[in-house]
Amino acid sequence: MGHGRRTLLSLMPNDFETLETLGGEDEVSLLEILDHVLNSGVVIHGSLVISLAGVDLVYLGLNVVLASVETALSNLQIEEKRRQK
Amino acid sequence: MSRILVYCGFRHAPEISLPAVGVNAAPVQVAAFDNLSLLWSEVEWPFDPQRMQKSAVEFHEVVHQVFKQTAVIPFRLLSVFDDQQAFTAFVVENRQRFLEDLNRLRDVVQMECVIYTKPSETPVDRSSGKAYLEQKAVALRSSEASVQATQDALAHLSREVRVREGKNGTRIFVLVERGCENNFRQAVTAVPIPTHLSRRMSGPWPAAEFLSEQVKMPQIDGVAGAK
Repeated sequence: MGHGRRTLLSLMPNDFETLETLGGEDEVSLLEILDHVLNSGVVIHGSLVISLAGVDLVYLGLNVVLASVETALSNLQIEEKRRQK
Repeated sequence: MSRILVYCGFRHAPEISLPAVGVNAAPVQVAAFDNLSLLWSEVEWPFDPQRMQKSAVEFHEVVHQVFKQTAVIPFRLLSVFDDQQAFTAFVVENRQRFLEDLNRLRDVVQMECVIYTKPSETPVDRSSGKAYLEQKAVALRSSEASVQATQDALAHLSREVRVREGKNGTRIFVLVERGCENNFRQAVTAVPIPTHLSRRMSGPWPAAEFLSEQVKMPQIDGVAGAK
């Protein structure tokens, strides 16, 4: 473990650079990290993420909808493609 | 205003090394309930939306430091408890279910493969409604065939498989034994894929897709829980 490992935070300015997280072989993008930390795992009853018609809505604070996760991810993908051009 | 942010739960073992700091440099603390340990931090709430990506990466780092060593049940970043009392009540209520899932998933990791249509590969046929629908049907059949071929190629590695359709493609979640991640990648790569489709693999991840429903969305009787 740790061989070839880079610090995730040091790569933040380039959001979509592929990141190594679990050693030299396992790579993951920020897009996937966002998807997993927002969209996978335990949802506490009455918590901030609710699902409506299969789309997770992310709430912050007083029931203000910031964005649906899927829409946010789509926008990030579009942005990623722009950067790659 | 502060809240209790929980990162993940795992079976306690003294040899597991734990991260010192988490989201927004908050100290990571351990709550131990018999065999179950949970990592948490007291954080300022709500999060600064401008800092959300950084918070997500910091959260991920905490969970993955433990996940590298053992099976974990991850929480979602935006789930928080009002206070320690609510957090403790939650764990007491759900501890047994968490331990059962951790036991069931102790030797496996979640690998993923997304198969999606390349957006610019095939120009949309707008000559008629029928032509448009036929084109979509052909693309759908082709994608379904690729998903099936991928599942078939992974059958010998898969402890369990879930497939979910999304607007960004078909997502295949596969439980594989820890240590078999490269076998997964090789098996997927060996499956030919039509030129108008693309695929992306990722993992290993905690087996969040395979948690029991009661663990994924637990109920907290008589506790306000998070807001």
